[in-house]
Amino acid sequence: MNPALVRPLLLIGISILLLIVGQILLPGFLNANQVANQLKIAAFLGIFGLCQTIVMAAGGQGLDLSVGATATLGGILGAAIMHGSNGMTPLGGLAAIGAGLIVGSVNGIGVALLRIPPLVATLAITSVVDGGVIVGVSLVQPSNAASPVLVTISGWATAGVPNIVLVWVVLATVAIWLLSFSAWGRRLTDTGANAMAALLSGTDTTDVRIGAYALSGGLAAFAGFMLTGYVGQAFYGLGDPYILTSIVIAAVGGVTLAGGRAPYLGVACAAIMMTVLVSLLTAIAIGEAGRQIIFGATLLGFLMLDRCMKGQLHKALFSGLRPRSRAAPVPAPSTMTNLRSGG
Amino acid sequence: MTADAWAALRRSSLGPGLLMLLVVVVINAVLQDNFFGGASLDSNMATFAPTVLICVAQAIIVLSGELDLSVGAGVSLINCVLASLPPQHVGGSLGVLAIGLAVSLALGFVNGVLVAYVGLPSLVATFATGAIWFGLGLTIMPQPGGVIADSLGDFYAGHVLGVPTPLVFVILAMAIWVVLARHRAGRRIFAVGSNAVASRQAGIPVARIKLMAFVTGWGLVFLSALAISCQTMSGDPRLGQSYTLASVAAVVIGGISLGGGRGSPWGALVGALVLGMVTNVIYFAGIPSSWQEFVKGIVVVIALGFMVLEGRRTA
Repeated sequence: MNPALVRPLLLIGISILLLIVGQILLPGFLNANQVANQLKIAAFLGIFGLCQTIVMAAGGQGLDLSVGATATLGGILGAAIMHGSNGMTPLGGLAAIGAGLIVGSVNGIGVALLRIPPLVATLAITSVVDGGVIVGVSLVQPSNAASPVLVTISGWATAGVPNIVLVWVVLATVAIWLLSFSAWGRRLTDTGANAMAALLSGTDTTDVRIGAYALSGGLAAFAGFMLTGYVGQAFYGLGDPYILTSIVIAAVGGVTLAGGRAPYLGVACAAIMMTVLVSLLTAIAIGEAGRQIIFGATLLGFLMLDRCMKGQLHKALFSGLRPRSRAAPVPAPSTMTNLRSGG
Repeated sequence: MTADAWAALRRSSLGPGLLMLLVVVVINAVLQDNFFGGASLDSNMATFAPTVLICVAQAIIVLSGELDLSVGAGVSLINCVLASLPPQHVGGSLGVLAIGLAVSLALGFVNGVLVAYVGLPSLVATFATGAIWFGLGLTIMPQPGGVIADSLGDFYAGHVLGVPTPLVFVILAMAIWVVLARHRAGRRIFAVGSNAVASRQAGIPVARIKLMAFVTGWGLVFLSALAISCQTMSGDPRLGQSYTLASVAAVVIGGISLGGGRGSPWGALVGALVLGMVTNVIYFAGIPSSWQEFVKGIVVVIALGFMVLEGRRTA
């Protein structure tokens, strides 16, 4: 079987299993409405996961901690411009995406040109954007309501399928093409896998990385704008719950901090799996404490799975090629090493 | 002489942090009446000590080439443990402290094993364990509550041999580092942090050193949690949340390379003081609280700008 499909199938299998367990424990858990609702929640998470997939694939310990702040910015700016009217909705959306692209580009310039570690660069930008939003809102006190059209797109369903899920499917299709089949996607993963080799073979790695962060910012702002429609209004802290969950689903979906891999299909399936898991835990009345513990344990489990698979692969590739000796350096276990070499 | 000191400062990568500290101290001294007076110095020290301690803890872990995103959740968990243990059943306040310290070291040990021996990337692994610590804290104490023994609170508010207790905590933390740095263990942390592969080939037990860095760091996390607990005098499962990112920011302001192996915990001390003073300045300058986040962000960006201007590679 195509190895790229193993993880998505595994994750979908776990999701189905969780749904069945939910149905057994709580009859009615598996009805169409409930599933559609979960897909809706997964769609937002999946878009944020796409942000992380792109920047993590670019390597150098790529991470975007500013997705939450950028989403909040996108939601609040979009709502301020559309002012609750249908006619202004496209303009609001474009403004939100534009602002996200700008924030993302600043991140990208900090990371790729100024060589600031992504964790720090995106964290610093988070403070500035969050702080800017607070100041802006306190000075202007803009309108924060979503227009009816936006509410329809984000919150309602067509023939039983939530509209936002359709948006996500289109976005995911484009993303999978872009990341796995286009020339730019190849350059992106090459940059992540080995920045020096990519540079020497003619890829402008700086451009690619700035592009990756800009794209992540634009997508985060778009997701924030859509969230505004889902919730009904934009508010401060709108995107914050997605900062770390987006990283978790990227890691569970098979993206590594070392870079070089952008399996968005896996990440999308991870978004579904995590959503089903969280809703099952909520449904069987496991409190936040238990959810957090299971959340952390799941992430650790998948990290260890990755670690085991990497170990096996390494053994399969190198056993017999090299004489066994104690001095043979094992590839440094920590990805922090990649931070130095990949920067 | 001056030139030598200047050159040493440049080498130490503490320059930008110290400059920023100087600026905020001057602004603070202008704004806050009696800034250098005993009472306000005492109260500032009590406020800053937890941040300083957790930042120094993060610095030691970062120097070994890793990162710990679970320190904030760890502080909350230890705080909940300290606030929920009935002192009369565990041998008084000292028993409570001993259990708290044991829990802290155990958390550090788990993180260290996962990162150093299992080989998980520290960034994601400690994020995952952070979620678990947070969940455990919530299990012990679903709502803020509980009490810290008065004797501990009095101890923290008081003096030891004429020195305010918070300052004693900070001195203790720095003393641990100074002792470590003078011995082989400290040098090995730098070696492992700057090049793990070379260190391994030079015969340094890389995994053990990283584990040691985590456990040492979490010893200081315990001190930090104790200091915060003595200030709030109760338990709160969300108490430490903001400390994780503050510790990373302080490490960066203090000129410590997140790639490991470069800088020193003194930098984290400076970084933590800068962050604390900035909050002070915002408060005393009467800046609307809506600007607080923005000003803090700008300060970190300025610190990053300094690092770039210095032409140092931060990664």
